[in-house]
Amino acid sequence: MLILSRRSGESITIGDDITITIVGVSGSQVRLGIAAPREVRVLREEIYKAMQEENRAAANVPDSGRKLEDALKQLQIKNPGEPDK
Amino acid sequence: MLSNNYKLKTPANLISNPLGATVDRLAALGLLEKELFFPAGLFGFPACRHYKIEPFEPGDGSESPFLLLNAVGHELTFPLIQPASMGLDYHFPRSAELLAALGARAPEDLLPLLIVTLRETLEEITVNLQGPLIVNPIAALGAQLVLEDQPLRHPLLKPADAEDLLRSC
Repeated sequence: MLILSRRSGESITIGDDITITIVGVSGSQVRLGIAAPREVRVLREEIYKAMQEENRAAANVPDSGRKLEDALKQLQIKNPGEPDK
Repeated sequence: MLSNNYKLKTPANLISNPLGATVDRLAALGLLEKELFFPAGLFGFPACRHYKIEPFEPGDGSESPFLLLNAVGHELTFPLIQPASMGLDYHFPRSAELLAALGARAPEDLLPLLIVTLRETLEEITVNLQGPLIVNPIAALGAQLVLEDQPLRHPLLKPADAEDLLRSC
């Protein structure tokens, strides 16, 4: 990993069209400004990883046919005219 | 009484909005025949970019609101559901960039589909509202968005449904 030191207000560039600017530093928190083309997806890492993990958890679930049928039964089991318990 | 109506919203909606109509609509849009191209793939699966959608058909031949997203050429399947099938009033930003990326001429061309995460028990099943798949059936293009203000794991069954389930066990 390339490690650089920057001060507030300074920037780094990645490739030709991505610029990351240190907007401010306050204690352990750093504020970054990111200029990148629209098609470049910029996400906080924890969001990116959560999305990956959720997709992996949803993919190829064993016995998914039975689980979908069970869920369907539960969704349809109640008649809307029935009084609630 | 109001709370009863609220609790019963999901099943009532499913009954009044059976998948027959939903499947017909998706078929009319050409969504079920076409191979969909996701240029960026899905999170965690960047190499799988071509998919086909089929209705999930229960063994007893009944209708279901579920769809299956199958990767072409890979052993990869995700269960999906449309937000409307869950009675959800679901919105996503239909930005000019998104329209352009999915080759859409009008915002109405874009259709949201939600990934269902099946787990061991029914009450643990969740729907990913944070990472919807947005497809344009006309251009056969799709993308997975990230909506940070939406929950990653929204229960498929409302708490009232899940409570009833627990009581019946």
